[in-house]
Amino acid sequence: MEADWVTVGVVGLYFIAMLGIGAWASKKIKNTEDYLVAGRQLGFWVFILLMIGTVCSGMSLLGVSGLGYKAGWPTIWEQIFVPLSIGICIIFFGVKLHNVSRSAGYMTVQDYLAHRYESPVALRTLSAVAGIIVSLIYLVGQYTAISIVLMWLFGIPLWLALVIATFVTMAYTAIGGLYAVAWASLVQSVTLIIGVLVMAPIIIWYAGGFTHVNEFIATINPNLVMPWNPVGAFAPPYVLSFALLLGLGLACAPHVINNVLAIKDVKYFKWSPLIAFVVYGVVIFLLKFAGFAGLVMVKEGVFTLPAVSNAQDFVILYGIQYAMPIMALWAVFAVIVLAAVMSTTDRLMLTIGAMFSWDIYKKVLKPDADDKNVLLLSKIVVVLSAVGTMVIAMYPPDMLAVLIWMGIGTMLATFAVPLLAGLYWRGATREGALASMTLGLLAALLFGFLNYFKVNAMGVDFAAIPLHFSAYAFVISLLAMVVVSLLTVKTAEKVLDETQTGWYISKQ
Amino acid sequence: MFGLPDITIMAVGGVVLVITIALLYWGLTFKGHD
Repeated sequence: MEADWVTVGVVGLYFIAMLGIGAWASKKIKNTEDYLVAGRQLGFWVFILLMIGTVCSGMSLLGVSGLGYKAGWPTIWEQIFVPLSIGICIIFFGVKLHNVSRSAGYMTVQDYLAHRYESPVALRTLSAVAGIIVSLIYLVGQYTAISIVLMWLFGIPLWLALVIATFVTMAYTAIGGLYAVAWASLVQSVTLIIGVLVMAPIIIWYAGGFTHVNEFIATINPNLVMPWNPVGAFAPPYVLSFALLLGLGLACAPHVINNVLAIKDVKYFKWSPLIAFVVYGVVIFLLKFAGFAGLVMVKEGVFTLPAVSNAQDFVILYGIQYAMPIMALWAVFAVIVLAAVMSTTDRLMLTIGAMFSWDIYKKVLKPDADDKNVLLLSKIVVVLSAVGTMVIAMYPPDMLAVLIWMGIGTMLATFAVPLLAGLYWRGATREGALASMTLGLLAALLFGFLNYFKVNAMGVDFAAIPLHFSAYAFVISLLAMVVVSLLTVKTAEKVLDETQTGWYISKQ
Repeated sequence: MFGLPDITIMAVGGVVLVITIALLYWGLTFKGHD
């Protein structure tokens, strides 16, 4: 469709607001600590909404409803485990990391890994490089989502949609660092929550109501209203691996976990897991239901999805278009989707900037680099990562959800075991962490490749494996940690005490 | 209920309920210091 001036105005205003936040935040940036962890001054609600905004990605609006459209209720588990990932991150990683970082002054999760495993160069470099790789995979999925929205709303070509989206997100992130990302997330998350609470019920109502939608999709295929499929994807084993993938994989992702280092007071961790679970849970359930409603509308001939390979990702956009035939509202919804996508994209870019400028440049390549140069390099890397992934996103994947899960799966296989073992098991060693991270990353990339391209090799059909591919890579990572740690020299007791390593969440 | 089989209501509702209770328990017992 062709946009009118109202649409251009609404989206333009949103972009200007984001750039305004970036400009405001840039005045608060005095050093690298301000830029990367917002001076450790994030308040309660800014933190909660930053966590929701970071976890709520392009998949949350387009991919979630797209998957609901395609596979029905068996996919509902992502609506439980994604909101839960915030609580898992806070409870199992956040409390201890925050407490230790108060004395150790961590800027990134790599600082913790380097300290805990006494590996200032090898593990830090490996985890930073791995973090950059998985963040880039994830970032491509986000840009794809942004371009879907801009192409739909403005009828502009993909390259132009990507250039606009990249420029705006990159600009406020590069100049304002985590202050800009956090305050932009506050605006974006509030916009998202209110927008979905208003618009998703209208789509469901337009399709005949919640009960009618469920009854109708059951006539298409009875499995669409079951809690899981009998075999294959979203059968019970797959659902369990999905819980691991989303619940733990997102929780340990560098762009999510780094947020816990930036809060002002550990007491924020008391109620933030429950509040985030309930608030984001309601939003993401509604989005899934809107996808079911879209299926009803398509089957009843209300609208036809575009003839593209990722057609299901457009379902909520078309649902809005037909349930609310007022163009200004489409523009508002486009802003909501953009807000969801950009709130993750900006955090990812900043995390990549931090991992390169702080972990690789400052801590490994040039320890005597002054703060000004590190800060400048962070900004340059934010720009480069944005432009690089924009170019990759010119060739969008068939299904947005699949690409984003690949990113999360790789994060799970790479970071979950070294972090959990580091925090809770005093027997975990540097060599164990290096082996775990290396094998986890390689296994995830290999299994992800074999699964995505439906390879049939060595008698295994990788397109039909019963678990999500990341679960196999996670097990390899776990085995590597246990076996290698048992065979190598333990970490010094002094370091284990400094990093509060042991079978507890917090000493009370 | 809601056009859904009982097993769907029980499985999804049960998991949501257990998680909510667990997070509520965390909030009530977390002291907030190291």
